[in-house]
Amino acid sequence: MVHLVFLGKFGDVAPDALARPVLPGDVRTLADLKAWIAAQSPPLGRMLAATPLRLAVNQALVQDLSQPIAAGDEIAFLPPMSGG
Amino acid sequence: MGLDIRVQDRAFDPHGECAAFVRGRADAGALASFVGYCRDETAGRAVTGLTIQQYEGFTQAEIARLAAEIAARFGVGDLLVIHRVGAIAPGEAIVLVAALSVHRAAAFDAVRVLMDYLKTDAPLWKKEAGPDGARWIEPRGEDHQRRAAAETSA
Repeated sequence: MVHLVFLGKFGDVAPDALARPVLPGDVRTLADLKAWIAAQSPPLGRMLAATPLRLAVNQALVQDLSQPIAAGDEIAFLPPMSGG
Repeated sequence: MGLDIRVQDRAFDPHGECAAFVRGRADAGALASFVGYCRDETAGRAVTGLTIQQYEGFTQAEIARLAAEIAARFGVGDLLVIHRVGAIAPGEAIVLVAALSVHRAAAFDAVRVLMDYLKTDAPLWKKEAGPDGARWIEPRGEDHQRRAAAETSA
């Protein structure tokens, strides 16, 4: 079981059920996860594809989408930030 | 005193915070500060308020990481950052960045460059409400240019 967090505008379109998804066995990496999400929610998939995206796994930024997903991971999808 | 980083939903008094920051610090010759406020209009559109979302835990840690980088780079021992999250009304302070140093140059530079970093790299998401509804704000091209320039400046 993983925990997904959708921040900012992603949170407006992400279905609630995606927060704690039951992932099929062939979703092994972050790239797999992104593709699986797009299949579950095409509007969210289009937004993720069109937005400069940062990912954090267990609260650390990750560049490499080939990174494997592990049970218990908290994976956050971060749209462009707008602090200050 | 070191780094004091606060991400909070309560309103705060930036001038009172600056006074407290420098109190008892006769070793500091300079305090520089910046306060960002919520405006009531942007690009000709009325703004009735902002909502700023954080990523609990991560936001505080990332701002602390950026502040530590700036403190080391400019040789500033004391930095204060207060950033509001949640609902903010026009006229309220959104962010305070303040630095104490022996002489003015380091304090000025640290505040300016840390603000440039926060604009594009602090994990915060700002939604602006107006008469036509609410919309998420993304960094402007100008913010990215300042961030890129801040990498090498001073």
